[in-house]
Parts: sequence; C-alpha cells; structure tokens
Amino acid sequence: MNRIRKTALSAVLAAGASFGLAAPMQAEEIKFGLLQDFTAVYTFVTGEYNQGQRDYLTLINEEGGVEGHTFTAIVRDTGNQPQRGIEAYNRAKEEGAILFDFLSTPVSAAILDQANADQRVVITPAHGRGDASDGTVFPYIFPAMATYWAQAANLIDHIKQHDGGLDGKKIAIVHIDSPFGREPLPILDELAGQEGFEYRAFPYASPGNEQSAAWSEVRRYRPDHVLIWGAGGGQAVSVRTAIQNGIAPEQIYSVIWLAETDAANVGPQMTGVKRFEASASGTDHPIIQRIQEKVIEPGKGAGDAANVGTSYYNLGVATMAISVEAARLALEDGGPLTGETLKAGFERVADYDAEGLMPAVTFSEQDHQGGGAGRVSQWDGSAWVPVSDWHAAFPEIVRAEIEESAAHYGSGN
Amino acid sequence: MFYRLSGTYHTTYESDRKLWKIPADRWQVIAVLVLAVAAPFLVSPLYLGSYVLPWVIWSAAALSLTLLMGMAGQLHFGFAAVMAIGAYSSIHLVRFGVPFEIALILSGLIAAGIGTVFGAAALRVKGLYLVMATLAMQYLVDWVVVNVPAISGGAHATLRTPAVSFLFVDVSSLASRYWLALGWAVLLTLFFLNVKRTSFGRALVAIRDKDFAAAVIGVDPFRTKMMAFFTSSFMGGVTGAILAYCYYRAVTPEQFGFDVSIQLVAMVLVGGLGSVIGSYLGAGFVLLAPIFLTNFIAGMAGAGWIPVSQNFLSHLPLIIYGAMIIGFLLFEPLGLAKIYDNIRKYFLVWPFRHAKS
Repeated sequence: MNRIRKTALSAVLAAGASFGLAAPMQAEEIKFGLLQDFTAVYTFVTGEYNQGQRDYLTLINEEGGVEGHTFTAIVRDTGNQPQRGIEAYNRAKEEGAILFDFLSTPVSAAILDQANADQRVVITPAHGRGDASDGTVFPYIFPAMATYWAQAANLIDHIKQHDGGLDGKKIAIVHIDSPFGREPLPILDELAGQEGFEYRAFPYASPGNEQSAAWSEVRRYRPDHVLIWGAGGGQAVSVRTAIQNGIAPEQIYSVIWLAETDAANVGPQMTGVKRFEASASGTDHPIIQRIQEKVIEPGKGAGDAANVGTSYYNLGVATMAISVEAARLALEDGGPLTGETLKAGFERVADYDAEGLMPAVTFSEQDHQGGGAGRVSQWDGSAWVPVSDWHAAFPEIVRAEIEESAAHYGSGN
Repeated sequence: MFYRLSGTYHTTYESDRKLWKIPADRWQVIAVLVLAVAAPFLVSPLYLGSYVLPWVIWSAAALSLTLLMGMAGQLHFGFAAVMAIGAYSSIHLVRFGVPFEIALILSGLIAAGIGTVFGAAALRVKGLYLVMATLAMQYLVDWVVVNVPAISGGAHATLRTPAVSFLFVDVSSLASRYWLALGWAVLLTLFFLNVKRTSFGRALVAIRDKDFAAAVIGVDPFRTKMMAFFTSSFMGGVTGAILAYCYYRAVTPEQFGFDVSIQLVAMVLVGGLGSVIGSYLGAGFVLLAPIFLTNFIAGMAGAGWIPVSQNFLSHLPLIIYGAMIIGFLLFEPLGLAKIYDNIRKYFLVWPFRHAKS
C-alpha cells in the first residue's frame, strides 16, 4: 500500500514538474553561433570580444530574456581555417543557430554565399567584406558597424574638422600588405581629389613585426598626418617605429584595431595617438554597469573580470546588443524566430545606440552597415578619451564605394 | 582466416601483376569504393559537406604531393601555391569561356609549368635547401595573387567560381560536387598505384635513394626530377581547381597560404611517405582530427566536465592534436600507413603469429 502511494505521489509530482517546466519551455532558446578564431590570427581581439558577447547574452538571460526567450551562444574555435569554419557553420546550423559571427575574414568569405542560400544571418562587424553593406546584393550579411571605408572617411574627416584642415596637406598611410590593408585606398583616392590633400601608401609585409623599411620612407615623405592600417601585434610596432622616425604621437591615426593591450606594449610614449572607434570603451556605461552587477559579481562571467570595459570587450557587447535588439523586434512581429524573420528584425532596427555604448544605428533593406557612424578617441596615458562626437563622415562617398564593389560582386567576384 | 591465402596461386603473369593480388584485399577495396560512391545517400549533408568531401579532396592533394616527396624524394614546402595556381587559372579560364573539362586540364598544365620552373632548383640543391627554394615559390605566388587584383578578384580578393557542368552534368549540388571530387581522387589513386610499376616510377625511386647512383645506372636525373615536379604539380593544380569548384566555391588567398602547405606536408608525413592509403589516412587525420577534438572537448565542457576558460578550451584540442602527432610518429615513424600495414599483416596469417614479409 505504502509503495503504491509512493509511486502515485511521485507520478503526480513528476507530472506537476513537467507541467511546470512546460510553460517556460514554450519560450524558445535562441541560438547564436560565435564560431571564431581563438588560436591563430585574430587572437589579439577574439578573447575579449567573445567574452563581451557572451556576457551580454548572459545579462539578457539574467534579466528574463526577450519575452521569455533566452539566448545560447554556440562557441567554437575555427583557427581561422575556412574548412574548419565551414564544418562549424554546418554543425551549428543543424543545432539551430540563426545568427553567426565568425570574426575572421577568410571564414566569412567562405560562408557568405552559403549563408545567403541558407537564409541565416551573418554579422561581420569590423571584418569581412565592406560591400556586404549593400543589402540588395547580400540579403543576409550585416556588417552592422562602420566598414573600413567608413572608418577611413571618419579619420580623414577628423583631420579636416579638428586637426588643421586638409587643403594641401600630406597624409601617409602605412598599411599591412594584404587586401585588408589596401581597403581604405579607394576612399582616400576619392577624398584626396575632393578635399585637396595628397596621400601616399607605404605597405609593410605581413604580419608586421618588422616595419623599419616602410617607416624610413615615410620619414623622407614628411607627412603632416599618418594613418596606420594593420591589426594585432603589428599595430604596436607601427606606433613605436613611427615615433622612432620622428613622427609625433598626435599625428598618428589608427584603424579600429588599436586597444589597451597595444598601449601597454608601446608604453607611455603612446600618449596622444588617435584611433577610430565604433563603440565606447571603459566601464562607465549603463549596460557595462549592469553586466558588472548581474553577471560578473555573481561569478557568471565568461572570462577574466579584468577584461570588462576594454575596447574589444565593449565592441563584442555592442555587436550582441544590436543582434538582441533585432531579435526583439523580430519577436514583436510574432511568429517563430528564424533566419528570415531575424533578417527582417535587423532591418527594423532604427536609432538604436545600446544606451549610449555606440552610435545610433539604423538598418534598412539597402543599408546593412547601419549608417557607418563612429568617432575618434585619443589615448591619454591610461584610457581612450573621445575627441569627436558620434557621426558618419562622407556617407555618400562611402555608399558609392559600397554599391560599386557590391555590383562587382553581383557580377561574379 | 580473414584473408584466406591458402589456395591462392598466381600461375599467370596477369594474375601476378594485379593491383590487389589477394581476393580479400580486392573485396575490401571494392567495398570501400561502393561506400564512397554511395556516401551521398548514406551520410547526412552535414557530414558529406564538412567531412567526407574535404577529406576526399585533400587526400587527392596529399597523393599529388607524396608522388614528389615520397616517391621522388624531393621536398616541397610550397604545394599550396601549386594548388592556388590551379584554382585561380581554372576560374579565369572558365570565365574566359573555356569549357570546364578543358579548363581543368589547362589549369593543371599551367600549375605544372610554373611548378617545374621552381622545381628546377632541385637540380642544384637537395634537402633543406630545396625546402627553402619551394618556400620561395609559396611566398612569391602568395604575393602575386594578393598584389594583382586581376588575379585575386578585386578589392576583397574573393573570386567566386562560375556555374559549370562536367561532361554535361551540372556541378552545383553537393552530391554532384562530391562525385566529381571522388572521381578525381580515384583517378589519382589508380594512377599512383600503377606508376609505381612503370619505368618512370622506378626511376623516381632510384633518384630518391641516390641520384648519382641512379645516373650511373642510366637514369637521367635532370629529366626525371623535372618530370616528377611536372607530374606532381599537374596533379596538384587540378586538385586545386577541384578544391575551388567542388568545395570552397569562392577562392581567397588565405585558402592557399603557407600554413596549408605545412598541413599538406604533415598529411604526407603522418600518413606515410609514398603510400596511397597513407595519403588518405594522413589527410583524414590532419584535416579531421582538430575538428573532432574541438567538438569533443566542447561537448565535454558543455556537459560541465571540464570547467575552463574558452581560451584554454580552444587550445586544448591543439595540445592533444600535437601530442597525437608526436605519439604516432614515436610509435610508428613510418606513419599511419605502416600501422595499417602491421594490422593487415597480423590478420594475414591470424591465428598464427608470423607473416612472411
């Protein structure tokens, strides 16, 4: 008798438990594939960036998700190898991921067409093809932040507005000898004609551990300003070699890839160097504060707490803030969340600035860059201090470049 | 017992010259071939597209390289560049209007031509010095591809493969791309197995073992070395084109970088120099082991077994992978092919202990 009662009781309990679980189970788990390069080329950024992405998703889950839906990050290392990226993409796709971030140009390039065919959203913030900003040619690819073209335009605009104008000035661009390094050149060509400055490009060989040959030529060129266009360890080498060649830190402007680690590597002489940024750094932002309070302090962070607030950490937070906002808008429309509805959600994002963490972005069916705004900040010896406001510079020139290149892609390349 | 050697006598030259003399071996090969051909119906698209297809193509690449490194003994550390030449020329040729079938052969010839020019260094230098010469080829080809937009495909250096058909069959679905790649790998395998028994194959082996001794017995080192580079580069060039059309379908310079060359050398070494089955096993190991290990470790971490940071989690598979390579090479320096051979010899006479050779 006792045993029967026990069995009945446990059956009732089990039924109750499953019933109780059934209600939240209806809210789906939204899966994002963060299949990035933790071990090869992009290691300088991936650790902090990915940590920021996952901490933001944890924050959203801690705050109850989006209408009860929670987010899961599928994280895998691809080692920057296309064939491993393809495997990871296919697997995560089978597991139900609807959004991907590879943070690797070769891997993104290998997946672009497949993702468009599979109707899965791929965000390519600060990497990948700039022309994917043309949503008519790349329906499922979202650069989602200022492309390298927009970054170059923004830096040039800063020189024009704040650092003595452009007319008759000489600008040197010292870049890594790769497609990425050469990317800003067409924008500079265009702007040089329009604004009346001259520029010259000085390539150095990848990976950029040794750049003295390029910089001694730069010294002979006597530029008024220098843009440095590289990534990873080569950036610190650029700044150090520039200063050795008599270029003042204030004359140096960097692409987005210059962060706290590089400043630590260069040392105190880095003070004064400027860079483009697509998201604010530091912990003094509402979202970062909430991450500190609800994710880091309870011990749910995805990595070293010291990384919170670094440039790349906040960049990762910003990418996921945009993605979660898109998912929220897509769910608002009702219906299940698929790659297709998530794309529509992205295209409804308007004037979203992640509570001030980044410039307001607005996507449309045509514009997957979100406006291409950013700002310039300057290293003051301990932190990056913004020296301009969030704005998009020369948007029509950047857009023309995007459309021309996208049309080229549409015709086969 | 398994191989049933008793009663198998080769009484004619034809039967003694067969590629697989023992019926059991023949049946194994037929079974593997049937499974390989039927793979699109047997495995899910995930496994076909991300595991089997790249494995078949890289095996073909390893076969091409092992002809040069294993049979002819000429080290080549720039083989990815040879494949790049094949991939880029095939795409540009098809865009120019050349039919795909002819473009494949022409791209192989172009790769063979350029590969032979760099191979000419082998006439003067050997060993590590030849490694340097072929490394130079890798970097030169990389540099040219990256710096000539007409080759690489413009600002973003991505070249998409045009839609093609092979012998009137449209090569766009996953299965058709797989069968084309498989056909090429089978062709290379048959070529490789047969070339070992030709005068050319024996000349290659003679050159490998001692080139001036080969010259003494009447093998022309100049001609043989050039032919080795030409043949191997032709095979590598077509494999590069197959890799572009059947697998990546959008070619970027990184797909043929220096690290890919090293991976190819690793495939050949881990598999076993100059061995056909070694090429398949080596390619499978180098290509798939990191993927399996990454998924396995991620699965364990997901189940909460190893609570560590993502950074360590990503490097752990590499640590294990490195240890496995060292382990295999310590356990059997002649590679995975020799391990297979040991197992086969054990079962050849099982339940008895000793095989003849």
